[in-house]
Amino acid sequence: MLVSVKKEIIRVENLYKSFGSLQVLKGVTEQINKGEVVSVIGPSGGGKSTFLRCLNLLEEPTKGQIYFEGTDITDKKVNINIHRQKMGMVFQHFNVFPNMTVGENVSMAPTLLGKKTKAEAKDMVEELLNRVGLYEKIKEYPNKLSGGQKQRLAIVRALAMEPEVMLFDEPTSALDPEMVGEVLQVIKELVDTGMTTVIVTHEMGFAKEVSDRVFFMDDGVIAEKGTPEEVFEHPQNPRTKEFLGKVLY
Amino acid sequence: MSEFFVVTAKMWKEYSGLFMSGLGMTLFMGLLTVAISTVSGSLMALMRRSNFGIGTFKPFRLIAAVYVEIIRGTPILLQLYFFYFMLPQWLPFLELSEFTCVLVACCVNSTAYVCEIVRAGIQAVDKGQTEAARSLGLNGTQTLLKVILPQAVKNILPALCNEFIAVIKETSLASTFFIGELMTQFKTINGFTYRVLEPLTIVGLIYFILTFGLSKLITLLERKLNASEC
Repeated sequence: MLVSVKKEIIRVENLYKSFGSLQVLKGVTEQINKGEVVSVIGPSGGGKSTFLRCLNLLEEPTKGQIYFEGTDITDKKVNINIHRQKMGMVFQHFNVFPNMTVGENVSMAPTLLGKKTKAEAKDMVEELLNRVGLYEKIKEYPNKLSGGQKQRLAIVRALAMEPEVMLFDEPTSALDPEMVGEVLQVIKELVDTGMTTVIVTHEMGFAKEVSDRVFFMDDGVIAEKGTPEEVFEHPQNPRTKEFLGKVLY
Repeated sequence: MSEFFVVTAKMWKEYSGLFMSGLGMTLFMGLLTVAISTVSGSLMALMRRSNFGIGTFKPFRLIAAVYVEIIRGTPILLQLYFFYFMLPQWLPFLELSEFTCVLVACCVNSTAYVCEIVRAGIQAVDKGQTEAARSLGLNGTQTLLKVILPQAVKNILPALCNEFIAVIKETSLASTFFIGELMTQFKTINGFTYRVLEPLTIVGLIYFILTFGLSKLITLLERKLNASEC
């Protein structure tokens, strides 16, 4: 029998993170495979965002290792900037650069970091902005954009670095309800291209639809994990049941 | 009362040359001080943010913090005296003019304030901007130059103009050493005429027109900056 070997891209070992005396992550060990789509759900303060932000070292772990493509990126000798280029991140509050046009937001990092020439970047920017319906806005400044448009811009800004993994930190939580759909649609299309994706979200329906696996995080650990069916339909952990009972109605 | 206005008008006619040269000197000192302090203050602000060091011991941060606290914690008049007498005594071979000594004191003083202005301007930029830039793979310097500073400038420029106004007023203290700015001219005319209120009123009006005009300009500038992009 042929076994398709899943290639691991991120491995987290015994991850701890404290802010002062507050312990947020209390030993997370997990791995994420290439092409996999993982949703992280759970109550506020459970450590979801901190877990995600540790993956590209926006938060420095207190203890434990994170391996990205086999390299321990928590090692002080590793140049994290190189690895971050391969890990796109999308934030709850968009964080688009207000001092640059929409086009410059996308082209800045790849040209500055020598990944693309100016001419190559121009083509790529046009293609990416077309993909998310922002081509007409290429010369506008982000203050002219709606929340949904800002978030779509933030997504293609990250994609412009041609990352191996995309990390989404509650990408729709700061949006007006009518704009959630357009952003989820873009993420869905991205997932369909086979992009490895980790998404922290409160959109349970979306998590169920796109994920290969779902992590339920509570009190600093992954309290339950499995396929969307397993976690959503047949949760084993009483905390998962309680949480889902509150958010699914 | 009416005599006051007559004498004031006469005085303005007679000594307008002195008043104007005083205004020139005040502006010259103010501009030079702010220009130099903008550079030194920005460098000082970078020192205050530097992460160079071992553990919690960050020498650049410490030096900058001590500097800012000492300068802001002592009167500028004291600093003027200090540099006026210290520089020629400790560095006699430089043969510094009185003007230079006073200018150095003004710059040393203003640097501390500009440092805080720049630091506050940088800090006011949303932390998410840094995170977004770093997550794309930019290093700290690239993030600062491409993302943070262009946004911080909007916060810094108006405050810097306010500092210019403050410096213009502070240069009046340099009259202690007869440097030739507006307040010195008041003292000169007072010596000629034994009149106090009239020349003082004229000098006061010049100061006011200068600072009021500048503050109106700042308001305009702020409106412009807010209208542009972000």
